[in-house]
Amino acid sequence: MSATLPPPPPPVAGHVPTLDVSGTPRTPFTRLIGVEWRKMLDTRAGVWLLGITAGLLALIAGIVLLIVALADVSPPSANDWLNILTIPVSMLVPVMAITIVTQEWSQRTAMVTFALESSRLRVVLAKLVAVMALGAATILLALVLGLIGNIIGAGLAGTDANWNVTASTFGWAMATQVLYLLMGFGFGLLLLSSPAALALYYVYVWILEGGVIIPGIMYVLWIAFDWGQAILPWFSMRIAMLPFQIGDSDAASLENDLGANLDTGALGLAHVFTSVLIWVGLPLVLGTIRLLRAEVK
Amino acid sequence: MITVDRLTVSYGGFTAVDDVSFVAQPGRVTGFLGPNGAGKSTTMRVMVGLTPATHGHVTIGGLRYADIPNPGRHVGTLLDASAQHAGRTGREILTLGAQTMGLPKTRVDEMLALVGLTDSEAKRRLRNYSLGMKQRLGIAHALLGDPSVLILDEPANGLDPAGIRWMRGLLKGYADRGGTVLLSSHLLHEVEQIADEMILIGHGRIVAQGDRATLLASNGTGAATTLVTSLDNDALAAALGAAGHAVAAAGPGLRVTATAAQVGQAALDARVVLTDLRDGGQNLEDLFLELTSSTQRDVLPNGASA
Repeated sequence: MSATLPPPPPPVAGHVPTLDVSGTPRTPFTRLIGVEWRKMLDTRAGVWLLGITAGLLALIAGIVLLIVALADVSPPSANDWLNILTIPVSMLVPVMAITIVTQEWSQRTAMVTFALESSRLRVVLAKLVAVMALGAATILLALVLGLIGNIIGAGLAGTDANWNVTASTFGWAMATQVLYLLMGFGFGLLLLSSPAALALYYVYVWILEGGVIIPGIMYVLWIAFDWGQAILPWFSMRIAMLPFQIGDSDAASLENDLGANLDTGALGLAHVFTSVLIWVGLPLVLGTIRLLRAEVK
Repeated sequence: MITVDRLTVSYGGFTAVDDVSFVAQPGRVTGFLGPNGAGKSTTMRVMVGLTPATHGHVTIGGLRYADIPNPGRHVGTLLDASAQHAGRTGREILTLGAQTMGLPKTRVDEMLALVGLTDSEAKRRLRNYSLGMKQRLGIAHALLGDPSVLILDEPANGLDPAGIRWMRGLLKGYADRGGTVLLSSHLLHEVEQIADEMILIGHGRIVAQGDRATLLASNGTGAATTLVTSLDNDALAAALGAAGHAVAAAGPGLRVTATAAQVGQAALDARVVLTDLRDGGQNLEDLFLELTSSTQRDVLPNGASA
């Protein structure tokens, strides 16, 4: 780990190592992942966060079904379920991605963690793998709930279940969740402070970008102004990815509102690439560099 | 063996550790002494790679810390007993350490028993621990991997007198079995009874090092001083003055520039009954305060000249 430590000193003349490390293998990476996984679940905060995420998913699915059962509305399609149930996932899982990094600073456990594993990069990667696994498990739970909800909803309404999720839509939805998780992780590394990283994450995701229900500032400006349409797709991951995510009929009405075409070609992909670079790539790279160089006190 | 070689750590214009060199030998307890902010903790953080050195380097058993695989199995560290997650139980904290080092769960129970934390205490969360309990847990964590080198920053802080005696015995036994022990303290009396070797640091610089006798000998004031109290101090003072010794009042007795034997002889000749007679020369604490006085935060009454 040359980035964290000064260059190796020149060998001292006549100095023979007295510490016999030949019988000690390096700590396996899988063991580091296991430790980081355990750290997410061994505090009340971690257990509560996961409990709330699972509870919120079940609650939202229940409310949707209740509305379908009581009101005379058509049941949500598979695509609707996907949109609804990924909201709690994107709200809460990135919190874990942030705190798995920042709590080492706020609780000062980084002193112990990095004393037991000198390679900080290995620790960072172990944390990333652990939190990605947690994210995958949560998304799987959301998908199972959506699947069951779609079947029950159709049953309640007495219609056939609508399985209108294409592979492309599904892929973009999963990519969005992974990117949000990586973004939280990057913000955590960059700021090394839970409140600051959480604030930045929520301001970006909920105030600047907005969700399915309440549009964010950038989304509104994008709809309203020509300059917004020229600039904001480069800066907003949501706006950049939107053309790839929405169905044809929604795309047609959105293009009508905008008075412009949604680009799913090279320009559209360039929008996605640039916005992801700004919000995910840069925080991850700069944050990792910061962590590798930081003095641990 | 810990070798600190011309270590300097600077923060902008401030030099926290200034050209520090020393060796902590196996089989010995090395005390690292200095007032608050003298650079002890910074030096110890450099040893385990948490703080980068500006110049110089530290090796442990001839290796850079980063080159030691699974370092917890070789070097036990306790840098700050409070630097653990407040929401984890004591047992969980040790379990995480044991899991990282690849140790069996039974090792956690062994260490808890060794440091005297009961089963119910181990189930409590760290925020409910007293400082003394945190220190015991921290020492247990440092010893988990059965290391051959121990680096302990202020381990006696918060321990009660019985706890300090317990730790003294523990570290002494550890060094007697061939281990290297480096422990820091800002309190001399915590260290002087256990340390075979002492490093005195003030203002980021080493001001003295050696064992107790060496330190006193190299910094002695030369002329012997004796403190004496008798049933008739005036008569004794007159006798001592007549014998050519400088005499000054000191508390209930006298401070005499003479050896205890000379004072005793004068008292015998003058037929004065002595009630107290002891060496009034510089003790280790005076030396410690004197050597580090330029970095003391508080002005000591007569401290520098004691």
